[in-house]
Amino acid sequence: MFDFKLTQPQQQAQPGLDEKQEDLVYDLVIVGGGPAGLTAAIYAGRARLETLVLAGSIPGGQPANTDIVENYPGFPEGIDGPELAQRFRSQAERFDTRVVLDDVTEADFSKMPFTLRTYGATYRARTVIVATGANPRRMGVPGEDEFYGRGVSACATCDGFFYGDKKVVVIGGGDSAVAEGIFLTRFASEVVIVHRRNELRATKIYQEQAFANPKIRFIWDTVVEEILGGQTVTGVRVRNIKTGDVSVIETDGVFVYIGMEPKTEVFAGQLELDEWGYIVSNHRQHTNIPGVFVAGDVQDPLYRQIVVAAGTGAIAAMEAEKFLGEYPQSKVEKVVALGGTCD
Amino acid sequence: MPLLNDEIVEQVKEQLADLEGPVRLVMFTQTFECEYCAETRRLVEEVAQLSDQLTAEIYNFVTDEEKAKELGVDKIPAIAVIGAQDYGVRFYGIPAGYEFTSLIHAIQAVAAGEPDLSEEGIQALAELTGPVHMQVFVTPTCPYCPQAVVLAHHMAIASPMVRADMVEATEFPHLSIKYQVMGVPRTVINDTAHIEGAAPEPMVLDKLQEALEGAPE
Repeated sequence: MFDFKLTQPQQQAQPGLDEKQEDLVYDLVIVGGGPAGLTAAIYAGRARLETLVLAGSIPGGQPANTDIVENYPGFPEGIDGPELAQRFRSQAERFDTRVVLDDVTEADFSKMPFTLRTYGATYRARTVIVATGANPRRMGVPGEDEFYGRGVSACATCDGFFYGDKKVVVIGGGDSAVAEGIFLTRFASEVVIVHRRNELRATKIYQEQAFANPKIRFIWDTVVEEILGGQTVTGVRVRNIKTGDVSVIETDGVFVYIGMEPKTEVFAGQLELDEWGYIVSNHRQHTNIPGVFVAGDVQDPLYRQIVVAAGTGAIAAMEAEKFLGEYPQSKVEKVVALGGTCD
Repeated sequence: MPLLNDEIVEQVKEQLADLEGPVRLVMFTQTFECEYCAETRRLVEEVAQLSDQLTAEIYNFVTDEEKAKELGVDKIPAIAVIGAQDYGVRFYGIPAGYEFTSLIHAIQAVAAGEPDLSEEGIQALAELTGPVHMQVFVTPTCPYCPQAVVLAHHMAIASPMVRADMVEATEFPHLSIKYQVMGVPRTVINDTAHIEGAAPEPMVLDKLQEALEGAPE
């Protein structure tokens, strides 16, 4: 409990953006403020592109939600997730990229410059990097929505505290489920990890730690059918998919770590998506629209690692720079009439 | 054994080196110190050492009842962060874990007396039609919570109609139950409205309006 952390508090929408945004055309607008977006911002800033990052309301991406990151290179002792996220941001801001805490609600890639609308403003860009990342996937079972925030959570670091000496169930079998399950043993009296297969997908080292932890037990080949409770959660009804047996696990909290869903609603119909909803890109981070690039988990169903997101962010920024160089007619200083196009 | 390790002490000293004015950390505890009262008091005393602009004032919630009433303090442990003015910036429960950041940030913000909000936001707050009480429920390990706390505190600085509290959810279970807090951050506004998560400024402002409109005459 008595751990005192000093990270930089996130700044609000920068009061200094006093130019009317509609009259400005950025060289590059990056949508998303996680590792991919912020690495792209570092490279773009150093390439002296006029860059804006629309970081969304909760910047930092998935690392901001993670207790300790031990596999990002450069930190032999590991590093706090939020601290790492903050360092990415500080580095980007050092090279004069602006980071604004705004969520993109609409995008128009049908003509240049591209237009992005947020909760508070409209922005225009010659190139765009989409790095919106992914949201925790929900199980879609009865009781899940009803009890969300009242016993069902996808953030162990946020909500673990409420389960001191209580029982919790973690759903999932990958790195997040196992790592956050281990984290929850700091508070909970018991952590039951329920997985639909009979072996974990998680990195071996996490598996070793989990198997060795006396507070953790596993239930295999099992899926959740319903979340049960009254005022708060009291249990989960589960079904063994091999035997068909149905039973109820008593619990006070359910943490769902069954994977992520790429955040692409805003771009549907314009950017090509694969069958799982991820944005389609080539190995140079191009999308189907020239001038629109993509990086990070929103285009990566396979690896989903901070270092990979950072890598694709850097590539996307370098490609955006190249694109701007190859299409000099797009380097118009200001578009005077709204809706004027650049040919 | 001090609560703050050497590394944090250095970082805090650096952050507080340019405080723009004096700040009083007015803390309320009681003789038989409650669960985290003793540690909160020690924290306040240690932090106050880290800048000449900071002073710690420790009061007894029971015997200094008048002072508590004057500052609107109704539960302990409580810290009121007061600069040239009392902007209504409060911490209930110990600001540990990530909330330590919120405490340092509150000290800086109160010293400056300037809200870090957009122009539209400051304008909207100037036009509030009634008093607003924001209670931001947090837990110390929640990484998103400081953002919600800091925003609420800046709103309190911007408007004399707004007062904002960090409320550490596990120390006040009766409040957590009353407001059905099981996920944080959760901001309760005037007892009637609430927002989950670290919402952006325009969304929070909309909620303030909603809460005021829903108020009984």
